[in-house]
Amino acid sequence: MAAIEKYNQAFVEVFGVKESALNDHFSKDNMKEWDSVHQLNIVAFLEEAFDIMLEPEDIMNMTSYEEGKTILARYNIEF
Amino acid sequence: MARWNIKNVALRGVSLCVPDRVVKTEDFEFFTAEDAEVFNNTVGIKSRYLAPDDVCASDLCQAAGEKLLNELGWDKESVDVLLFESVTGDYKTPPTSCLLQDRMGFSQHCFTMDIPMGCCGCMYAMTIGANLLSAGSVKRALLLVGDTAVRMGSLKDKSRVPLFGDCGTALALEYDTAADEIRVDFQSMGKGGTALMTPHGGFRQPVTPESFIYEDFGNGIKRAPVHTLINGMDVFSFAISRPPQTVAAFMEDYGIDKDMDIDYFLIHQANKMIVDRVVKKLKLDATKVPYNLEEYGNLGGASLPSLMVSRLKEQLTTNPQTLLLSSFGLGLTWGTMFLKTKPMIIPDIIRL
Repeated sequence: MAAIEKYNQAFVEVFGVKESALNDHFSKDNMKEWDSVHQLNIVAFLEEAFDIMLEPEDIMNMTSYEEGKTILARYNIEF
Repeated sequence: MARWNIKNVALRGVSLCVPDRVVKTEDFEFFTAEDAEVFNNTVGIKSRYLAPDDVCASDLCQAAGEKLLNELGWDKESVDVLLFESVTGDYKTPPTSCLLQDRMGFSQHCFTMDIPMGCCGCMYAMTIGANLLSAGSVKRALLLVGDTAVRMGSLKDKSRVPLFGDCGTALALEYDTAADEIRVDFQSMGKGGTALMTPHGGFRQPVTPESFIYEDFGNGIKRAPVHTLINGMDVFSFAISRPPQTVAAFMEDYGIDKDMDIDYFLIHQANKMIVDRVVKKLKLDATKVPYNLEEYGNLGGASLPSLMVSRLKEQLTTNPQTLLLSSFGLGLTWGTMFLKTKPMIIPDIIRL
């Protein structure tokens, strides 16, 4: 599975949305469901999908679909 | 690097004392039935033992210590070191360990010390106690580890009150040249210190009338500056990253095979989401990871010894065991310990 497919799958699973809903505006600020539990679930999905351990700062900053891609790039994951 | 290979020290016994009162999640007035169910399912803490206001951590620890000494058959005169680990001591001064030396009737020749280190408390007490004994100058140490943490915070703080339970534990260490090495790694990250903090009441921010003025932070969180706070997201992101990273590095450095060399992994029982994440990240065999948070809640520094007593009594009293311990919390600090035990004394759980 391509990296972007795995990445999108995490958001689809955690937020129960369609892949088409994922865009630059999909963020903590725009999603009332995006609480700490959802954020941690996203982190859990991504860590397992990409077999990585995120740094504390990156877990804290995982607050949007777009930012998540920037964070994962630091772990050598290319989209 | 804060690592020790501590020689010549054996863990002879562990005991646990809890208050008699059980509080279930559904009993909290600030939770609806639906809230309580969600909390039980996600955080995993379904009940906890809570002490009345006139019972301190030192009382619970004293009961645990007395029973352990009795079952070990240790004369109090033979105890050279008495450590009290707690963030809920009797007074700001004097040290509670000194008061316990008198209350419990230990010799005036006993070395006493308080250690206020939060959820890594047991590991700190064991590291300090074992290092004191290792050279053989002193032979026996009693470590008392316990807290009444709920009372540190606001009882109107829905984000904190249901997480904690009260207890006192005791651990007995003895000089023994035949004991296996205790290996420990400790790390600290002070920049995260405000994630778990009591803003007022120290000398940086002494108590003033403003210290008691409540503020409503929303989401069921009402507290004053004198109350202990938890910044949940900061704590979570720390707890599910640094400790498992360190445990993995520790096992690699010491050539420890997680599947072959360890009988049980004792992970600080912060909450189910955190422990589950640590277990998954380290790909641990779930049958080797006991939990007791569903019954006891987060017991702070006493979490690990409470696991030994409440979930591993039969194993620890009958056979040698190899344990890998991981604790994390206040500071922020985190520790990893490799410990081989021989059959030890574990009294029945005391209800006070």
